[in-house]
Amino acid sequence: MTQSISFTFNGSAIECEEGQSIAAALIAVDERNLRSTRFGNEPRSIFCGIGICFDCVVAVNGVANQRSCLIEAQEGMKVESAL
Amino acid sequence: MIGAGPAGLAAAEAASRNGTEVALLDASSRMGGQYWRHRTRVTGYRSERGDTLFAKVLAADSVTYISEATVWSAQRDGDLIRVNYLQGGSESSLIAEKVILATGAYDRTLPFPGWDQPGSMTPGAAQSLLKGQGVLAGKRIIVAGTGPFLLPVATGFAEAGAEIVGLFDANSPLRWALSPKALLENISKFAELLYYAQLLRKHSITPRFGRAVTAFNDGVATISRINPNFAIKEDGSESVQVDVVAVGWGFVPDVSLGGILGCSQRVDSDGTVIFDVDKNQQSSQPHIWIVGEATGIGGADLSLIEGEIAGLAASGQKIEKSHLLERIRKQRFADALKRTYPVRDGWRNWISPSTIICRCEEVTSQEIRDSVSELGAEDSRTSKLFTRAGMGLCQGRMCSRNVSEIVSGITQCAVVDGERIAASNRPTAAPISLGQLADGKNSL
Repeated sequence: MTQSISFTFNGSAIECEEGQSIAAALIAVDERNLRSTRFGNEPRSIFCGIGICFDCVVAVNGVANQRSCLIEAQEGMKVESAL
Repeated sequence: MIGAGPAGLAAAEAASRNGTEVALLDASSRMGGQYWRHRTRVTGYRSERGDTLFAKVLAADSVTYISEATVWSAQRDGDLIRVNYLQGGSESSLIAEKVILATGAYDRTLPFPGWDQPGSMTPGAAQSLLKGQGVLAGKRIIVAGTGPFLLPVATGFAEAGAEIVGLFDANSPLRWALSPKALLENISKFAELLYYAQLLRKHSITPRFGRAVTAFNDGVATISRINPNFAIKEDGSESVQVDVVAVGWGFVPDVSLGGILGCSQRVDSDGTVIFDVDKNQQSSQPHIWIVGEATGIGGADLSLIEGEIAGLAASGQKIEKSHLLERIRKQRFADALKRTYPVRDGWRNWISPSTIICRCEEVTSQEIRDSVSELGAEDSRTSKLFTRAGMGLCQGRMCSRNVSEIVSGITQCAVVDGERIAASNRPTAAPISLGQLADGKNSL
């Protein structure tokens, strides 16, 4: 059985299964807009899903530009759309 | 061995047969690459081949499997090759006598209005969420683009309980008639087709051809009928409400690492940049073999035999004639796939002036057009210098080819091979922070 863990996204608590990527955990709870673009302020989400396109980048525990499709969610992790 | 997808696993397994010491590095936390994705166990057509290979590789004493290791560069060190990788936030390196590269491929994408909106993603992304993460990307899904990969994606979603609102291939399956020999030589492929046909029927999915997703806005997808050159036909566009459009146009090989090592490249019949290899899969560089999609998109079957041949060659084992014959057969099928599922220029008319072409730097098609007509850019590189298209985080992996094709459409000059090759190479194969570089390597 997989264990449930909890992290925060822009301050809200998100529950997910251990081993899930941050992007998968967010999409599973219908949280599709992972960030807004720098110039157009347009919402962006997962696109290539395998770490190539960098569209799903978020700040993880204060470190910017982390690919949410590759990084596994960890208990207590602080995920933000931007710093 | 760099890469633990079908090609890399086959190479590692083959090399381990005579006890050759192998380090198998892979960026993911699980082996299988993008093809055999799995959370608990592999599922899908003939997935037992994956399970068998995993077991063999893990059981081989001479193979050390190093997961979550992203190789960002490699260089010659005398007669040896130094492979530098990132793992757990710090940098390490391995020194090898011989290197086999199996770096795989990623989805090829074409821009259309709204392709940057949440809900638009590649079939590979949808598949990775489902198979790798156990998450459905949406409830109502359109799968579109071109090629046989759309079948496992659409049927996989249906099996998981999503509604496949449409399955659209831009090309007609009648194009297979162009390649009768390849079909006859690969009769086993019919079994695979039948497997998917049964699943399609089970879920009442009817694939439709000569159609493409030409716009996506706020959850509404526009499906247009297109002609063989991908130009939109006047009659019959339809709009459908969906959660997800998963659109992919074949694959782009990842050639960064071999490029860094100076392995000679060329442009394949589908316009992708691939490596030149000899009959043993050896590259132009001594002691470097290249297998799988980086030597030409061909799918898992071709990757497996290429991997086996390179693994045998690099470990000094005998390659049987039957191996070479099998590769010829699979290669002919791969060539037939490229012939059957081409991507034609007409897509350039789907985009509007405000369509984002470079997703990272938010460069629009109008800006690229202006860089040519107002500022005199004649190729993608000059256009990039004016507009920043291709200068963002992905380093042009998503847009550089499309920028080349758009510029070429305006100048009416064909994209030259040199431009395609230059645009496919990067000084590092993966991002590394200056801090990680400055900290120095972990000692082993």
